[in-house]
This record gives sequence, C-alpha cells and structure tokens, in this order.
Amino acid sequence: MKGAEFSLRPARVAWALLGAAFLLMAVGLCFVHSSTLGDTSTTMKQVIWFGVGLTAAVLLCFVDYHVLARWAWVGYWGSIVLLLAVMVFGVSRNGARRWIDLGPLQLQPSEFAKLAVLFALAQFLSRPIEELRLTNVVFKSMAIVLLPFMLILKEPDLGSSLVLLPMMLAMMFVAGVPASILAKIMGVGAVIGGLLVADVLFAPENWRLIKLKDYQRHRLMVYFGKDFVPANATPEQKAYYRELQRHKGWNVQQALISVGSGGLAGKGWRQGTQNTLGYLPRLGAHNDFIFSVIAEESGFIGSVTVVGLYTVILFSGLMIAGQARDRLGRLIAVGVISLWFAHVFINVGMNIGLVPVTGIPLPLLSYGGSAAVCALLALGILQNVHLYRRSY
Amino acid sequence: MLIVDQLRRDDARLRVVAVVVLVGIAILTAGLWRLQVMAAGRYTRSEEAQSVRLVRVPAVRGKILDRNGFALAENRPSYDVNLYLEELRPSFVHEYTNRVLREARAQRESGKFTLAERLQLQEQARLNVYSNTIMTVSSGLGVPLSVSQDGFLRHYRQALALPLPIVDNLDSSQMALFFERCRGVPGIDLEVQAVRSYPFGRLAGHVLGHLQRSDEADNDPDLLIFRYRLKDYQGVAGVESKFDEALRGRAGVKALRVNSQGYRHEEWYLHPTELGRDVQLTIDVPIQLASERALSRIAGSATRGAVVVMDVRNGDLLALVSAPAFDPNSFLGRMSPEEFQELNDGKLRPQMNRAVSGAYAPGSIFKVIVGLAALEAGVMDPLESHEYLGYWPMGGRSPPIKDTAPAGFYDFKRAFKRSSNAYFIDHGIKVGRERIVAVAQQFGLGEKNGYPLGTEVRGFLPDAENLERLRARGDPWTEGDTALLSIGQGAVAVTPLQMAVMTAAVANGGKVLEPRLVLGIGGQGDEKPQSFAPQIRSEVGIQARHLQRVREAMLADVEEDEGTGREAALPGMRVCGKTGTAEVKQGRVLVDKITWFVAFAPFESPRYAVVVVVESGGSGGRTCAPVARQIFQAIQQREGAGRPPAEDQGTAAPRSASKPLPTPAGLYAGLAAGREVSP
Repeated sequence: MKGAEFSLRPARVAWALLGAAFLLMAVGLCFVHSSTLGDTSTTMKQVIWFGVGLTAAVLLCFVDYHVLARWAWVGYWGSIVLLLAVMVFGVSRNGARRWIDLGPLQLQPSEFAKLAVLFALAQFLSRPIEELRLTNVVFKSMAIVLLPFMLILKEPDLGSSLVLLPMMLAMMFVAGVPASILAKIMGVGAVIGGLLVADVLFAPENWRLIKLKDYQRHRLMVYFGKDFVPANATPEQKAYYRELQRHKGWNVQQALISVGSGGLAGKGWRQGTQNTLGYLPRLGAHNDFIFSVIAEESGFIGSVTVVGLYTVILFSGLMIAGQARDRLGRLIAVGVISLWFAHVFINVGMNIGLVPVTGIPLPLLSYGGSAAVCALLALGILQNVHLYRRSY
Repeated sequence: MLIVDQLRRDDARLRVVAVVVLVGIAILTAGLWRLQVMAAGRYTRSEEAQSVRLVRVPAVRGKILDRNGFALAENRPSYDVNLYLEELRPSFVHEYTNRVLREARAQRESGKFTLAERLQLQEQARLNVYSNTIMTVSSGLGVPLSVSQDGFLRHYRQALALPLPIVDNLDSSQMALFFERCRGVPGIDLEVQAVRSYPFGRLAGHVLGHLQRSDEADNDPDLLIFRYRLKDYQGVAGVESKFDEALRGRAGVKALRVNSQGYRHEEWYLHPTELGRDVQLTIDVPIQLASERALSRIAGSATRGAVVVMDVRNGDLLALVSAPAFDPNSFLGRMSPEEFQELNDGKLRPQMNRAVSGAYAPGSIFKVIVGLAALEAGVMDPLESHEYLGYWPMGGRSPPIKDTAPAGFYDFKRAFKRSSNAYFIDHGIKVGRERIVAVAQQFGLGEKNGYPLGTEVRGFLPDAENLERLRARGDPWTEGDTALLSIGQGAVAVTPLQMAVMTAAVANGGKVLEPRLVLGIGGQGDEKPQSFAPQIRSEVGIQARHLQRVREAMLADVEEDEGTGREAALPGMRVCGKTGTAEVKQGRVLVDKITWFVAFAPFESPRYAVVVVVESGGSGGRTCAPVARQIFQAIQQREGAGRPPAEDQGTAAPRSASKPLPTPAGLYAGLAAGREVSP
C-alpha cells in the first residue's frame, strides 16, 4: 500500500517478479543438471533457451502492449496454422505428435498457442463491459479458446489443452462476464467432465461415447484408484491387468515415494536415489517430474521455497493486473497469472498425487525449449503491462 | 488479507482470483506437508523397501587350537571368480542393439517388434554376453566351464544384485593365468573368501566334529528380513557343534542398493561381521599325532579302536583318538558317493567316537577294580599265596573258565601281572558283586564322566537297579555271573574314557577327575576370554596303601619278567600298566576280542594315563601294550627336550597365535624324523 504512495517515481521494473524468476531459473538449471545425472549438455541447452527467452522478453518490453495487441489476431491464426501443421508434418515422441522439426531445434506450437490465445482473448474481451452480457459474445470468446483447445487435445496433449480452460474462465470472470453465465458454463463443464470420468471408469467398453487414448484412460483409472481387472477376467487376464496396473501406476507411485522420502530437509543435491537409480521415469525426470527430484533432494523446505517463489510471481502479476492502465492490460495480466497458476497447480499436484498425471511442464523448472521461452515471454508481457501502466 | 487488500478496493473480481490462487497454493503446501513431513517415514521405508536389499554375511569362524596354539581348524583364503552383472550392462545393450536386434530384423519383413518380443530379444542378448564371458574365462584359465543358461536366468531373476559365482577356489597356477588373461574382461573379478580348513586332516576329527551348510542361524542380529543369505556353515558334531555359537561370531548385515531394474548400485555394511572366538583345546597335537599313528599301525585304515591320553593331575585330555577317523574337510564340499559310503560303513562306523561312545567289556583291566575291592574289604592278603589249577571250575553244567595263567601258586602281584583269572574269581566271589560294583562306582564307572561334547555313553554295571531289570527278564544273578564280573566279562561294559579316569585316579592317589577338553574360549569384541578350570569330581574312599599296592602290581606287569604288559616297557620312563583281553561271545562261540591296555607313567610321580583299546585285536599285551609304549615314547621325547606338553596348568586363556608356530607340514616332518618340534 505504502510503497506505491511514497515512491516519487513509480518503479519501472517489477523487481519481485524479476527476482523470483531469476531464482526459479537458477533452481531449474541446478535440478535439470541433477535429474539428467549431471549431463552438462542438456543443462547448457536450457541455459541457451533461457537466454533466448530473456532476450525475447526484453525486446517485448520495448513495444507497448497495445501495439502488440493489434497483432493479436495475426498471432492467433498463425498459431492455429502451426497447430494444423503439427498434425501433418509433426514428429511424434511416445505416440504424441507435438513437435515441428526445424533441424537443430524442435518447436512445440502448443506452447506458443497458449500465449497467442491469451492475447486474442484479452483483445476480444476488452470491449465495452455491456457487450459481455450478450450471449453471442460469450460464445465467441469461448470459441476463441475451444478451437485451439480441440487441436491441442487431438495431438494428443491433454495437459496443454486443459490449462486453457482455467485461463479462459479467469479472463472472462475478470473481464466482467456475468457470474450467472460463468456459473452455467462451469456447470456444463462439470457435467461433461463428470460424465467423461464416469464413462471411462464404469461404462462397458462398447458404450463409451468419448474415445480417450488408452494411456489417458489408464491415468484416470490410476488416479481414481480403479481396479484394472475386469469383472469376469480369466486368471491369465487377471495377471496381465495386475501387471498393467502396476506398470501404469508406477510413475505416480515413484513420484510420491520421491517427494515423501525427501522428508523435511531432503537428501541433498544430486543425492536423490529415486532418480539416480531409475525409479523415476528416465524421460520425465527432467521435465514433467522435475518437481519430484527437487522435493526429494531439497525436502519440504526446498519444495515450499519453490512454491513460495511461484506465489511471489503470481501475486506480483495480480498487483500488475490491479494497477494496469486499462482493461486490456488487466486481462493480459490475469491471463498470464491464470496460465502460470494452472501449470504450477497441475504439475505440482500431479507430483504429489493430487491431480491425475498429465504431461505439463513446470514453468522455468522443467527442461524444454519452447516451454522455457514461452514462460519467459509470459513474464515479459507482465512486465510490459507494468511498464506501460502510466504512459498516457 | 494483506496481499489481497493491496488490490484496488473496488476490484472485487480480481480479489476473487487472488483468493483462488491463494487457496490453490495452500492446497499444494498442505499436500507437501502431508507427504514430506507427516508421511516422510512411510515413504522413506517404501523407498528403502524397493531399493535396498539386505544380505546376511557370515562372520569368519573362530579357530580351534590345540594347547600349544596349533590350529586344528582354521580358515584359508579361497580365490573365487565372480561375475558382476551390473558391470555387464553396457555389453548387454551393445549386444542387443548391434547383434540381436539386427539379426532379428534381418529375418523379418516388418521392423516393428512387440514389447514381449523385444524383452525376449533382450534376454537373448544377455545370454549371449554371459556365454561369451564364460567362454573367455574358460579358455583363459584352461578350465572347462559349463554354460548354464537356466542358472544364469535364475540368478538374473532372483539375485541380480549379487555376483554370480563362476569358478571356486583357484589354485596358484590358475591365479597366475587369471591375472594374465582374464583381468579386464568386463564383469569378471576375483573375490577372496574365508573357507574352513582342517590343516591336519583326519587328526582329532572326532573331537573337532564337522560343519554342515546352513545359511540361517540362531544368533542373527536382531530380526532382520534378509533378501539374500551368503553361504554359511553350522557345526553339527564335536567342538564345532558344541561351541558353535562362540566359534561362529556374529553375522554382518550388508545393504545393497539396487536400481529400478535390480542391478547393484552400491553397498555398505549396516553391521560389520564380528569374528568368531577361538576355542583352545587341551589336546596336544604331537601326542595326538603319535597316538593316531601308533594305533593305525595295527591294521591300517581298518583299525577299529580308541586311545585316550589324560593328564592324571588335572584331567586334561592330551589325546583322544578313535579309529577309523574321518576328515572334517570332506564335509565342506560335495561328498562323493564313495566317501559317503565309507563314512556310513556299518562295521567301521567312522563317525562314532569310540573313545567316549564305545562301551566295551573291560576284560582283565577290570581286575584293578576287583583287586582294590578285595583289598578294601579285607578278604585278600596280598602277600599270601594260593594254588590254582590254571582254570576256574564252574559249578553245575557250566564249562570251566579258562585261564591264560598256568597252574601254580599266586600272590596278588603275581596274579595281577600274569592276569590270573582263577585268583581274581576266587577273591571276587569272596568280595561279592555288591562291593565290586561299589568300588567301580567310586571310580566313575557306569555313569557319564562329563565329556563336554556330550556323545558319551554310561557303560554298564550290575548295580542294584540293573540287577532288578535282569531279574525281571528271568535272568537272576548267580555266582557264575560274579565270577565273570571278577574278570571283567559278562554284565559289565566300560568306555575308554572311563578307563582313563579310573587309571588316572589310581595313579594320582584317588582323585576322580572330570575330563577336560577345552582350556578356554578366546575373547573377541565385547566377549571376554573364558577359561575352564580343572575339576575333581570326587575322591575314591580307598586307602592309599591299597592304591600303592595296585600301582606296584601295574609296574610289575610291565617291568617284570612274567608281566603280560612287558611290551609297554620303555627305557627311561617307568610305565605301569594292565592288559585286558575281553572275549565277545555269541552263545558259546567266540566272535570277537576286545583288547585293552591301561597304563600310567612315570611310576615315581605319575603324570600321564594312557588307555588303548582295539577291537578284534590279538591280546592286550601284544596288540595294545606296544601302542602305549609308542605314545609314552612320544611323550618322553617332548619332555626330553625340556618342554613337556602340559607345562602350564591350562587355566590361562588361549594364547595368541601371533608367535611363529611350525606349520602342520613341518610338524609332520619333524615327528617323522623323530625330532622334537617345539613351538
């Protein structure tokens, strides 16, 4: 309260945001190094990505976000084209077609799509508040999100598509869409979600309305503790399904053991056995499951510190949203916050067994070029909103 | 809420977003608290349960030493070649990607393999690497090694974290070949293990006992759940069994950390092993060796018999021999069918310790008891001569009892040294069964004498209780039975150990000693050394002059012309003895003879009691007396060199084996050359 009133010249840089971001990047590098068992080249690649992301974020700050918003639709349709391109030219890893191969680097369009959708939605919702009561405006704003949502879901990348939904709701809510309409949307969403889960868990095979991928269905079954063995299974089938269940539940179980066995103070940097001995999935330890490695090696103290750093970023963002010059800035800031929050909550929640397993990176900690650059771009946008809040 | 308040007051919707974010953060923090603080112990245990395997590591067994510190049982290093599978992992991957997978691809149209097929191919790759490694070692060492695929797969499934044994017990030339050709073969390494060994082979085998493979034990540290147990042994006979707990020490606990596939990652000790304690025996290796050699000269490996050498002052068993013997080493490995057959031979019965478990008719050595009973009872004037016929006429239809002593006049000494049956039957009948048995009991006959290893039998005396049993069987006691008892035949049986205790009591003036076999147990760790003091069980209530009379008669038996034990005479040491030849009859047919010689020396200040018994011998004088002479000779040689074997009273704790001792081989050589070997 006082800081803003007493400073003669308003701060141009959100220092808390910047500080927390740099600390998170440092933690990220340490634990990417640890989780790849000291593979320096992976860590160095991440350093380069951070460099690229920081540069992009700084460049972004030279252009007023209003100017950027004018290009929002170009960005939006551009990313839709990219998402379609993934379906055609994309390279698949582990059965998911998520990347476009650009020779030395691989682009993950869904990461950039998140930011493009954010900008487009903010631009669309920053119209006069009265229009937001109109049904067709509400439907249009939902359509803006649901088009890329469906495309990303198709890749399949359930996690990345799901984070768009809380972002959409938060932005519509803050923009001033009547709460009654939002309540209806959430109600319908909850019914669809509930039906989907019930369908996966209880419906017989040939009744299923929604065709999920097997691994997605299994993850849900693991999360809800559903027995894999069908009712009338032969002993061989029983054994098969038991093994399948063990196999499918393995990652969650190992993540829980990693986090839990870290205890209060952790086992020490690079001393975590769960990762070194290969109990954590080797492919996921440095990205989706990096929080397990951090929690195991730095304990409750370390993991709460990490969550605290995210809290600093989120609340700096909320402050920026509160102080934004206009509704566009406010919505952009809220979009960034809700996107980050969704990532953090789902990823950490998945590592501690609160949320079903979905492949989603932890901003600035998980290894991954597109994700790192986009996370930094998002922070750059926040800083941009902060920077241009008073320049009338 | 401070942070929320900082937002503009009118901005209610942003504040809702802030609250949602805060609640989310609170949920995550609570979840972390639950996992990492409240349930940390549980998850730490699951983490250990899946990645730590406990291995029971047996301790190195304590040694069994003779009284001089010679190791009768010790541990020798065994050099074993092991295969460490975790080191082969790169080879497995290489073989899989570069050979197995390519070959499989070449044979198929489509390049896709199902998971099951890939697992099958990976197993094939591991088997290939294993077989190649074995062949490399086999040709390197010049030892034919069989490739056991099933064994490998079983080990891979069940004990992946442990090394897979390839070859045991390399000899020195194989060691040289190993270092020249096999070092650097991936996964192959040499391990040294302590293996029990009995350097003297059969020597004192019955005393030492033997081991049997047993990986589990009673004295395990705490109640740990072991995933693996390394090879261990348990004593099942002799000192190895009786003192198993002390000898065994405490097994250690090794923890292996394994990775998600089960390969060993690291290992450390939770509990180190605690060495077993040494047990020091009263046995004197040179005397034991001399006794075994002297006894085996009779009929080689077919000799059946026993020797007991006892220190008459404290009951120390200096030698305890039973023939035929077994080699405790042969129980350690796999026994050949021939060896097994031999060990369980119904007639030779090598596993039986005849010195304590053999109950034999004493024959004429029992005349020591009968003589003392007659003297005590006052029914015999030792100096008075009586005329006998050279046999003893039994009443009724029974045939007369024949006599090796010819007809003529006999006083006590002459009757004793010529072993006149008639004289002793005459006086035995006068004394009566009851008083003979009473004296025998005073000397510890008919009961266990306290041999610490527990395989002792009681023998047999016609005491009141047994008499009752005989009567109940319709076999009442007659004067004829007393006549037989007077010459140590019929309803009487003794063990060689009992005879040693008896002889020692006669020699030492009436002290019935408890046979002492163990001098002490060495200290180790927290365990203090323990020693066993000599024990006198009782004193016989017999006048000293009567004991002196018998000692003189025993001296005469060896030293005088007519003595039956003349072959035990030894220049420089005055040996006193008594021969015995008991006949074993089935009905009236003579089926076997048990020949005895009991002796002590020197006459002036008795020190050593020697008892020799031989089954199916010729006669006590011809068969057993020479054995005793050779034993006394060995003793004399040791004493002559100024270091008698029982110099210390044996109450001290086992001496440390740090001072140089002659090797067993050197000792053998020394004894063979008749030289003194002094430690």
